[in-house]
Amino acid sequence: MKFTYNWLQNYVDLDRLTPEKLADELTMVGLEVDSISHLYEKLSTLKTGRVLAVQPHPNADKLTLCRVSIGDQTLQIVCGAANVREGLCVVVALPGTTLPGGFKIKKAKVRGVESQGMLCSERELGLSDDHTGIMELAADVEAGQVFIDAYGLRDTQIEVDLTPNRPDCASVIGIAREVAAILGKRIKVPFRGAVLRETSTSFAVEVENPELCPRYAARLITDVKIGPSPPWLRKRLLAVGQRPINNIVDVTNFVMLEFGQPLHAFDFDNLADRKIVVRTPRPDETTFTTLDKVERKLDDDMLMICDGKEPVAVGGVMGGLYSEVTAKTTRVLLESAYFDPVSIRKTARTLNLSTDASYRFERGVDPDGTIDAMERAVTLMCEVSGGAAEAGGIDIKVGHRPLTLQLRASRTSEMLGVEFTPERLKELLESIEIVCDVRDDDTLDVHVPSFRVDLEREADLFEEISRLYGFNNIPVTLPDVSISYPQQDQQRLKRVSAVTIMTGAGFSEAINYSFVSSRYDDILKLVENDWRRSHVRLLNPLTEDQDVMRTSLLPGLLENVRRNLNFQQTSCRLFEVGKIFIDNQGAPLPDEPMRIAGVLTGNRHGDHAPLYFKQQDVDIHDAVGAVETLLREMRILGDRIRITVADTGLTEPFCETDCALAVFHDDKQIGSIGKLKGGILLELGIKRTVYYFDLDFSALAAIEPTPKHFTRLPVYPSVKRDIALVVPAAIASGDLVKTVLASGEKLVEQCELFDIYQGEKIAQGSKSVALGITYRSDSRTLTEKHVEKAHAKVVKLLADTYGGALREE
Amino acid sequence: MEQDLEKLRSSAAEDIAAVSDSRQLEAFRIAYLGRNGRLSALMKQLGTVAQEDRPRLGKLANTVRSELEKLFSDKIVSLAGQAVRAERPDLSLPGRRTVNGRVHPVTQVMEEICSVFAHMGFSIAEGPDIELDYYNFEALNIPAHHPARDMHDTFYIGESTLLRTHTSPMQARVMEKQQPPLRVIAPGKVYRCDSDITHTPMFQQVEGMLVDKHISFADLKGVLTVSLQKIFEKELAVRFRPSFFPFTEPSAEVDIECVICGSEGCRVCKRTGWIEILGSGMIDPEVFKMVDYDPEVYSGFAFGMGVERITMLKYGIDDLRLFYENDLRFLSQF
Repeated sequence: MKFTYNWLQNYVDLDRLTPEKLADELTMVGLEVDSISHLYEKLSTLKTGRVLAVQPHPNADKLTLCRVSIGDQTLQIVCGAANVREGLCVVVALPGTTLPGGFKIKKAKVRGVESQGMLCSERELGLSDDHTGIMELAADVEAGQVFIDAYGLRDTQIEVDLTPNRPDCASVIGIAREVAAILGKRIKVPFRGAVLRETSTSFAVEVENPELCPRYAARLITDVKIGPSPPWLRKRLLAVGQRPINNIVDVTNFVMLEFGQPLHAFDFDNLADRKIVVRTPRPDETTFTTLDKVERKLDDDMLMICDGKEPVAVGGVMGGLYSEVTAKTTRVLLESAYFDPVSIRKTARTLNLSTDASYRFERGVDPDGTIDAMERAVTLMCEVSGGAAEAGGIDIKVGHRPLTLQLRASRTSEMLGVEFTPERLKELLESIEIVCDVRDDDTLDVHVPSFRVDLEREADLFEEISRLYGFNNIPVTLPDVSISYPQQDQQRLKRVSAVTIMTGAGFSEAINYSFVSSRYDDILKLVENDWRRSHVRLLNPLTEDQDVMRTSLLPGLLENVRRNLNFQQTSCRLFEVGKIFIDNQGAPLPDEPMRIAGVLTGNRHGDHAPLYFKQQDVDIHDAVGAVETLLREMRILGDRIRITVADTGLTEPFCETDCALAVFHDDKQIGSIGKLKGGILLELGIKRTVYYFDLDFSALAAIEPTPKHFTRLPVYPSVKRDIALVVPAAIASGDLVKTVLASGEKLVEQCELFDIYQGEKIAQGSKSVALGITYRSDSRTLTEKHVEKAHAKVVKLLADTYGGALREE
Repeated sequence: MEQDLEKLRSSAAEDIAAVSDSRQLEAFRIAYLGRNGRLSALMKQLGTVAQEDRPRLGKLANTVRSELEKLFSDKIVSLAGQAVRAERPDLSLPGRRTVNGRVHPVTQVMEEICSVFAHMGFSIAEGPDIELDYYNFEALNIPAHHPARDMHDTFYIGESTLLRTHTSPMQARVMEKQQPPLRVIAPGKVYRCDSDITHTPMFQQVEGMLVDKHISFADLKGVLTVSLQKIFEKELAVRFRPSFFPFTEPSAEVDIECVICGSEGCRVCKRTGWIEILGSGMIDPEVFKMVDYDPEVYSGFAFGMGVERITMLKYGIDDLRLFYENDLRFLSQF
């Protein structure tokens, strides 16, 4: 809602309050000021002038040479306008001025004659489209004044960002009412409590759907002469960014801004049967052309304003092309109505057409303000168009019951934390014209005025009281509440700690949008029945690249890798922990399990440690290590978790088949680790090797962590034996460790792989696997003999199982 | 014998001088002081010398032994000294650091906010990102065709499902499950169908609510003032302004003094010196009725804040879009 300082001043004495202070005060009563603009500042260098003499230009037929007084000096100005003449008061732009259109005035020679400025047309000043000649000021304007002051343009525009509950303030009078309360004054309005004294017989109104149109009033104005509005009216509209159209339409717009009541003017001679019928469309009325020349499709529940034959306006939204006021109009039927807010909103939404009128109707205009606004408009229309209003009019209304609310001082005090008496509450409410009666020592009867459609309950009045009392006058206290221990969401706590674990493991946290492109399903080569293709789709995505909710964190992370590589980050470790969304046929809402995924590429030691670490690219073991670290720190890396080479059926389709691992919890696969297929990476614009892991975090969080339990430190020393076993290269080295640990030999405490060798010294197709085995007894110091016996058993077991031979040194 | 000892003494002195590393030193020790070394060999001869010479020679042998041991131990020290000199580190080099990742700045600030409220006894609850129209709007007193729906650019999934446009649905979800008194915050992602320099289609919010008997607007002011001062780690000025949310009455926008310019007036605060930081209000009785709380008995307040905005203000970030690009040059700054 835009208004100006001077306009507001018409209804309330602003007492020289600065626009800035006024804006602050409005903001603090809930009318948030969005902007303050000092109008026409760009025109402030323009002067008023008087043409002293006019003579033809020596070198051009259409130009004249003018001597123009601007008070203290007389200028020679070349002018091309036909209306320039001696004695005319004009607007002079001096050299150095830039006009609204960007045109810069310079001292220049025009066809060989010097011109010391320019005489401006209204269009050049941005005041209207008129460019037929230079602007003519009133004859009594003194030369040499600042134009915007002399012409009354200097003003300040204030824009308020209205909340949906305050349609009453979508009017300058509504704003004035709030300002009056702030300043402790009263407002003066042009009409209040006007009534129609006679019923017109020159036209008829029928309302077929009173539930959609509880009130419809109209008056007829004859002998109208359509033309431009007088300057005062044009200036008002221009000052709030509205384009003047003609005197009749400008009045409807002006009164709408003044009273908040949208009005519509019909060319009466275009209304068939001299009749207005308010109704929904007939079955054959499927389209309608609005005055913006767009043909619109009608729904059967849209409220139309019709004449005796057909629709002439979309009620409360926009008029029709064929009934609008034109230059030829002589008789105007003025409509002032109250439409059902929900109906207007639905219509505006369906037509995708939001207008100043629909904005007000859908939020609720004053159902009792219909006649005041109409009378104001009729008076102005007669004034500006030379028309005459017919004495009577028509007012069809269902009527509404005035609302009286009870407001308890005790409850108000409790809600706001401030002590109030009913008398104090009355004083506050009456400052904004809400009449109250004190009922008893606690209760107030509050008579809600019709313009405050938002006040329906006692709670709404608490808000009014708090606002009027001043939010900043309400004390600051801490609540008196009992102690209780807050519930903890275990999954959330684990997620927070997983973030810490992963950053400790060298991964930075990424957060990606929950929506992705469905294109990734094909890029990642997901098979047709892959569960990740069961997307939740957005009905109205912003772009095609965000058309589905993600079923995997990998697309986002890979996009991040691409971006980082493009920006010369050659080493990149990122992880994300977040929700995926799986369409859950039948259930009202999809499943939203949490996953954790990571990607790794580039140097294992990061980009910045060449001094101490050789360039070593990450490999699959770094990815596995990251997962193991996570599981170990979550205390769930135990017997029930297995990380194994993925069987054929379990290999992820985007993973190199010889570098794919599956993570199991008992028999349930909960994730995968691997090396992304090179082709896929290339398609994504990534020219490096990338490893990933992807785990079901909800599943991990559900696993009971191993409780922390103390084991006594060993008393007796351990003995370590190393062996190197030559086995067929195809044997999984990790299995040897498992075999040793599962040997049943009680003295075995630990077994570690410490070297794997393939090369010259080893036969083709074989490899040497070196194991370090630690033996310890918890009851004595081991002797050589004991260790030898146990070790021999283990070695034999390995040799028997894997057909290997102890490697000769 | 006596000559042998003297010879041993002088040859040991020569040999030790030639020792230049620990391996040679060990060879020296074995040759002279070892179990089968030269000194042991001489000591064994001691039994064969004349009785009267024995004390004198014994004493001499012991002197020679302690001299050799001294030579040996002095050499250990001097070799160690040489070694230290040879391996002296270049102290101008940078430390050998481990590679650590960084927590996303929004997560960091989210956790700080959660921790501020947790310290005041609030529990933390999370809800679904894909929400029913009922919880996102209806239960919050925003019926279909209410103009307040214009304040939300909603992504729809189906007729009655959508991406939540705020974390406020958690008010209804929590109150449906629990009886008052309650103190809960609900952090999470929210979505708006809007994308430009100042809007991303996804962002994060923290919703909060406190419901009990005798909770007043003054309490709302108190709790939010304290929390904002803790979140920004500064005793900053806080201002409450009337606003409108369908699910609170009265509703308040909360401003803090501009932390960028110190209220001098800058681009960020649009020269007002104030920055809008959260929305709040006393929970509307209609919302209580939806969850069967008696609005005559209980009262409470709710609030919601945008985490990205707070993060931007705390760290001076001027471009919202950076948050979801996950550029390591950005992430590594926090």
